Amino acid sequence: MITLSRWFEAPLRGDRPVAFGREGERSRDDLRRDVASLATRLTPAQGRDLLLHCEDVYAFAVGLLAIARVGARAILPPSRQPGMLRELAGEVYGALFDGDPPDALAGRPCWHPLDAAGCETGELAAVLLDRHAPLAVLFTSGTTGSGRRVVKAVRHLEDEVAVLEQRFEAQLGANTRILATVAPQHLYGLLFRVLWPLAAGRPFLRSAVLHPEELAPHSENAAPFAVVTTPVTLRHLVERGDLSRRRAGCRAVFSSGGPLADELARRAAEALGSAPWEVYGSTETGGVAVRQQQRGGEPWQLLRGVEATADPATGCLAIASPFVSTGEAVGAGRTRFVTGDRAAFTDTGEFALLGRADRVIKVGEKRLALPDMEERLRAHPSVLDAALLAIEKGAAETRVAAVVVPTTEGWDAISIAGRRALAKTLSEHLAPEFERVLLPRAWRFLSALPRDAQGKLPRDALRALFATDSQPEAPERLAVSHRAGELDVQLQIPWDLTFLDGHFPGAPVVPGIAQVHFAMRALEELLGDAPVLATLEALKFHEMLAPGQQARLRVLVFDDGARFRFSLEDAQRSERIFASGRGSLERRT
Amino acid sequence: MGSAEGLEAEIKALIVEALALEDVQPEEIETDAPLFVEGLGLDSIDALELAMALEERYGVAIEDDPERNQRIFASVSSLAAFVADQRAGVERAGGA
Repeated sequence: MITLSRWFEAPLRGDRPVAFGREGERSRDDLRRDVASLATRLTPAQGRDLLLHCEDVYAFAVGLLAIARVGARAILPPSRQPGMLRELAGEVYGALFDGDPPDALAGRPCWHPLDAAGCETGELAAVLLDRHAPLAVLFTSGTTGSGRRVVKAVRHLEDEVAVLEQRFEAQLGANTRILATVAPQHLYGLLFRVLWPLAAGRPFLRSAVLHPEELAPHSENAAPFAVVTTPVTLRHLVERGDLSRRRAGCRAVFSSGGPLADELARRAAEALGSAPWEVYGSTETGGVAVRQQQRGGEPWQLLRGVEATADPATGCLAIASPFVSTGEAVGAGRTRFVTGDRAAFTDTGEFALLGRADRVIKVGEKRLALPDMEERLRAHPSVLDAALLAIEKGAAETRVAAVVVPTTEGWDAISIAGRRALAKTLSEHLAPEFERVLLPRAWRFLSALPRDAQGKLPRDALRALFATDSQPEAPERLAVSHRAGELDVQLQIPWDLTFLDGHFPGAPVVPGIAQVHFAMRALEELLGDAPVLATLEALKFHEMLAPGQQARLRVLVFDDGARFRFSLEDAQRSERIFASGRGSLERRT
Repeated sequence: MGSAEGLEAEIKALIVEALALEDVQPEEIETDAPLFVEGLGLDSIDALELAMALEERYGVAIEDDPERNQRIFASVSSLAAFVADQRAGVERAGGA
């Protein structure tokens, strides 16, 4: 195994693959050359910060290693949201992106990590990286209050990788292909998808896996593979049967990012031939513990070097290890961080997680563990999924608010008797188990919960649903530009957009007709008057438009106001089109 | 001085506003239907908030007498009667 700090002393050589995928296979020699080539171009960035975000994980790896080599710091934004990039642009020297450099970074040096790939730059001098040098700045997801930045030094990353390899080397074997569904922008993906495979010489999948079915082709031929995923995606994989056909080659499945339900763990074990390894950790603490659920209720096994205790002040789990990067230094290179997770310890020092501390709320004098009520809600036939949160109602009094994803049956009930009737039914369903004051006071019924790309439910996204009383009928506008005859709107599809109701439970997509409606409203704005359509032509719906998506709506009027055309496309990738069309308008007299 | 119906309508609007009730229009609240547990399904926390809102709006004093309060808060009509009495400065024995 080659640790990160020694990468440039004795890098991997030869033509064995480091990365594979539909973008093509890359060998160890390719990596060495591409990193040398990029590092040479990045020398002006020494000691500075560089944004790093790539869809191609091989490009990401080249970028990260080059950044490490020149002594710069990689800022890893969780996404390419223009707002976030604009905020970060002011602090960074430049950026490494694959794809077009975003507008937010105009005027700053931007490199594509593979631009000069294949050019021989000559070998870099062998150096040992400084273990204490800060290498990566990560952003936490904000499920616990607002997100924060966490800085990882080389030592935090390589020490955890060493422990993981020692723990799982035998199970994984050499040359096992790592198939991950998680982005390297977050610590789990950064370690399990990039740094650990690189250190151990295992090839990793290059592409950002958008859909579970994309994993399938890479697990052919019974070549050994391992899956790195989250509970939400694991459920998709298990339900679609993608992996069970190839279980002979599956060496391990890792799941992290949220609790793995017993039932899902059992089904995954059946489908894959061995129980998934659940990984408990966080951006601040790095990895803490792992476990395999066989019967349910298995205790966590701490990773080597990790100490877990109960924090006397909060009763929450406190973690001390060499991989913790945030918190109080407690000697011998270790740091202690108090998590927001409640835990119970047995006499033998093992612990069980009891859920987040901020998931236990008080309404009046009554205490409620929100997960308990969520579970009870999910037991109702009209409920597919539910998430509860505490909100302030009226005179700053805490109340429970419920976000429910109805089943088809639930949507039928809503269309027959209305939302209030379903809310009342569900309250009655909860009443036998929960005190009256704990029953939800505000309800939202959506086609899906507003999860982010990691499958987590950001608190802000849930709260935003209760900011207004009624559901929006129009997308949220982020920016508008208006030129003669043309309107260009950056917008975001809200999770509670009214047109998503029941369309479809668990898989919301904006109906085509609603997209046309948005275009007509924009046309009205452009014309200053309601358009009267004469014809609508070449109406095409190309890709599905889902909530949470940022899109760009363009409407053009020409031929002296007689004709128009519109397009609705992905705000970050203009080649990805949702809807387009053109037509003519009736003349006004 | 406003009519009894006017006061009842006002109180319905006050209930919806003070308790930030969603999906309920004031005119949907039945005047004689129970407010607590059944009917509108309000609870003890709502009772406190509603009492505060009534005191603020109408200057009525809600005393700490659980039995009496149960009668006063039974329905919109009993509330309206209570407020009207208070405004007229008349104390009715035994409640409405």
